[in-house]
Amino acid sequence: MPNLIDMRDIIKVYPNGVAANRDVNFSVEKGEIHALVGENGAGKSTLMKILYGLEQPTGGQIFLNGRAVTISTPHQAIALGIGMVHQNFMLIPSFTIAENVVLGQEPIKGQLIDAEAAINITRQLAQEYGLEVDPTAKVEATPVGMRQRVEILKTLYRGADLLILDEPTAVLTPQETDDLFDAVRRLVSQGKTVIFITHKLIEVKEISDRVTVMRHGEVTGRVQTAEVSEEDIARMMVGRDVLFRVEKPPQQRGEAAVRVSGLSYVSVTGRPLLRDVSFNVYRGEILGIAGVEGNGQTQLAELLSGLAAPTTGAATINGQSILGRGPRYVREAGVAHIPEDRLTNGVALEASIADNLVVDRYYRPPFTRRGAMSLRQIRQHAENLMQKFDIRAAGAGAAIGSLSGGNMQKVIIAREFSADPALLIAAQPTRGVDIGASEFVRRQLVEARNAGKAVLLISADLAEVFSLADRIAVMYKGEIVAIFQNSPDLTEEALGLYMLGLKRQTPAEIESQL
Amino acid sequence: MKTTRRQITLEIVRIVLVVLLALLLGFFITTLVSDDPVGAYTEFLTGPLPKISINDDGGWQLRGVNRFGNWIEDSITLILLGLSVAIVFSARQFSLGAEGQLFLGALAAGAVSLYFHAPAVIHISLALIAAGAAGFVWGLIPGALKAYLNADEIVSTLMLNIIAIQFYQFILTRYMRDFTAGYIGTEYFPETAVLPVVIPGTRVTVALFITIAAVVAVWFLMSRMPLGYEIRMLGANRKFAEYGGIKVKRVITLSMAISGILAGLAGTHLSMGLLKQLTLSLSPNIGFEGIVVALLARNDPKWVPVAGLFYGYLRTGAQIMERSSDVTREMVLVIQAIIILFITAERVLPLIQQWWQRRRSPEAILDSVEGVGDVA
Ligand SMILES: Nc1ncnc2c1ncn2[C@@H]1O[C@H](COP(=O)(O)OP(=O)(O)OP(=O)(O)O)[C@@H](O)[C@H]1O
Ligand SMILES: [Mg+2]
Repeated sequence: MPNLIDMRDIIKVYPNGVAANRDVNFSVEKGEIHALVGENGAGKSTLMKILYGLEQPTGGQIFLNGRAVTISTPHQAIALGIGMVHQNFMLIPSFTIAENVVLGQEPIKGQLIDAEAAINITRQLAQEYGLEVDPTAKVEATPVGMRQRVEILKTLYRGADLLILDEPTAVLTPQETDDLFDAVRRLVSQGKTVIFITHKLIEVKEISDRVTVMRHGEVTGRVQTAEVSEEDIARMMVGRDVLFRVEKPPQQRGEAAVRVSGLSYVSVTGRPLLRDVSFNVYRGEILGIAGVEGNGQTQLAELLSGLAAPTTGAATINGQSILGRGPRYVREAGVAHIPEDRLTNGVALEASIADNLVVDRYYRPPFTRRGAMSLRQIRQHAENLMQKFDIRAAGAGAAIGSLSGGNMQKVIIAREFSADPALLIAAQPTRGVDIGASEFVRRQLVEARNAGKAVLLISADLAEVFSLADRIAVMYKGEIVAIFQNSPDLTEEALGLYMLGLKRQTPAEIESQL
Repeated sequence: MKTTRRQITLEIVRIVLVVLLALLLGFFITTLVSDDPVGAYTEFLTGPLPKISINDDGGWQLRGVNRFGNWIEDSITLILLGLSVAIVFSARQFSLGAEGQLFLGALAAGAVSLYFHAPAVIHISLALIAAGAAGFVWGLIPGALKAYLNADEIVSTLMLNIIAIQFYQFILTRYMRDFTAGYIGTEYFPETAVLPVVIPGTRVTVALFITIAAVVAVWFLMSRMPLGYEIRMLGANRKFAEYGGIKVKRVITLSMAISGILAGLAGTHLSMGLLKQLTLSLSPNIGFEGIVVALLARNDPKWVPVAGLFYGYLRTGAQIMERSSDVTREMVLVIQAIIILFITAERVLPLIQQWWQRRRSPEAILDSVEGVGDVA
């Protein structure tokens, strides 16, 4: 029997001269879960975009069930039963979830869109596959995790037989990931096929039947998952052994660099998103914030970085009050911020890497002297950071929009680390970053801590929090419900009880850990 | 960087191709509406250029200098307005206020010209400053309304245009008018307030140099000054600009105000250069032509002069064709519009590029870029 998908000798050269795929052969059998892995910029998304008709290959052929096909638009891909969920969300923020799910194929009643049917369809699909969403909520008001589920529902609604999931778990909590895997297994048992891109090798082992590994635009291996270990896959990806554990020397904790007290925030719609949040972050400490996404972490980061003003409460950094004064003031006071939603806040897609790297410092020497900017300095600065942080792109002048997802994240990380902050707020810093680079980012976080900086780590990846944090605070419904010293005795299960709101410490217990 | 040079060459080749295609399309339409399409289209294509004619006795003569002058005069207005629009568009604001700023600029320049007396250099400088200031204020208002009160700038600039033009006409008719003249207009400006001509036989004045200086200034602003960087980042992604600490409201206000200066200066070119007086209608609807120029130049100040000259050439050629052939004014405008539409259409360039790539084998393309992308 022919393979469901056979991509042969695929070449893709982008207009800017980047060769993203070089003679790639890639095949998928019907009914399998096929993992596609590789470093940032290896060409995974490009290959999948070609399969989905979003990009045209420069050369090569695609066979579907042994028959040669041309896929020049996503429309054609959908007609052939190929659906894709993108790495970067492609939803309409001002529409409701139900409207997004049925977009383009809306149920019609008379001349109008049948809103009720849309809601029912969404609810039903959501139930069938165990992907919980609120059909009437506006996308812009929902957390990232839910948006991901909407994207998947959207594809299912269009009747895809082959589902391409580009880094779906990057934005999911462990619990959500388990739910997604259940849904994927259910799909496969119904005869569907799934291509799954991820940077988490543990997930590859858990869910996939076969793995294809890409590197520098080429396929470097295709194996049965059962026959290899995580370390084997990592070696195929990176070309060297990868350390999965970060070395962390004993802590040299200094005085409190950041004091947050009584922080509350009520959204414009009147929803309290933060309630009386108090904590300190000490010099030489990584404070991890654990919690299911959407429990106030986003707002906390926004308040502390000056993007929003709190309803009540105070925060000081080295004694200087920073709240409600805007990002410029806060940054100059020594705060750097790796934002959770990198496409919205973190980068300007059409601007160059060089321009993106100076957004917080362009007005200071050496970039601006006597009113004039030095393009040479800005380029030099970009080239240095690109080298130091291993950002792969055509050059410092390349638009951020032409970078792979992981390399975009590295641009942000490069900028914020190089700001030499007193407090570094890192929200999901390794989301979508490949294992080699994650290792690098984590090491940088630990180094920042060793150098006496205060680090506030917000991460949905519990394993990451456990491996990096010195203390762990748990957020639930906008409150800090527990603070622990990180120790080997602390288990994910124990923390989970607090994250789900089933347990909480007494105010006195929290007080003692501030 | 070998690739960037290759890319630039490719880009130029593509632009030339698109322009040729567009002109061909224009010719095709001309054949539909004219009995002598070749003659008419030749007038259109070569009309604005001066012609050398050889006399029987071997001497030569330059003819059509005034047409050439018309082209440059029009291009000066277009370039100044194009710069004005390019600045606001770069900030991704959609100001349509150039028209009003131009009228107020002309009014301010006219007032200084008529009611001040000073040696030429000072007189002209004062008039230019007054015009720039008027434009600045008339851009500042909608800018501040947008930034601080979130008032839609399209609506506010259109409203402010009406106010400015009515005010201009009111002041002119009521106070500044030369009542001895048989039409509504001021006296001619004194010698010291008229921009000196630099190309004899035309009305091309030192406004040409002012325009060149403006291009350099705007280029410097946009690519070498912190404010220009702020404008570009605001235009690229407002949330990113805010996150980075850029004071977005201030930048919106300033971008619209600075754009007003250039439209105000365009007003001086019309009043102190071309007309040498103020008349009731300065140059109808020219205010919106800056948008076309900015679009053609993709908001890049470097390219605004090229786009302005090109569009000015089209406009002048079209006028000449209208005068000297059987093609009606309406058809001339249609042809002109189609050419512009074709060139500004975003999808045309990529299409040509795809065609370009398809001619080469994939392996050849891969070979030609080998190594790029492995910056690590
Ligand atoms: N639209 C584009 N224009 C130009 N170059 C691009 C474009 N999209 C991607 N690239 C380049 O192609 C290469 C492969 O990118 P791709 O997005 O396929 O990587 P990826 O394997 O999905 O990486 P990641 O894990 O970081 O998402 C990168 O070098 C990237 O910079
Ligand atoms: Mg990708």
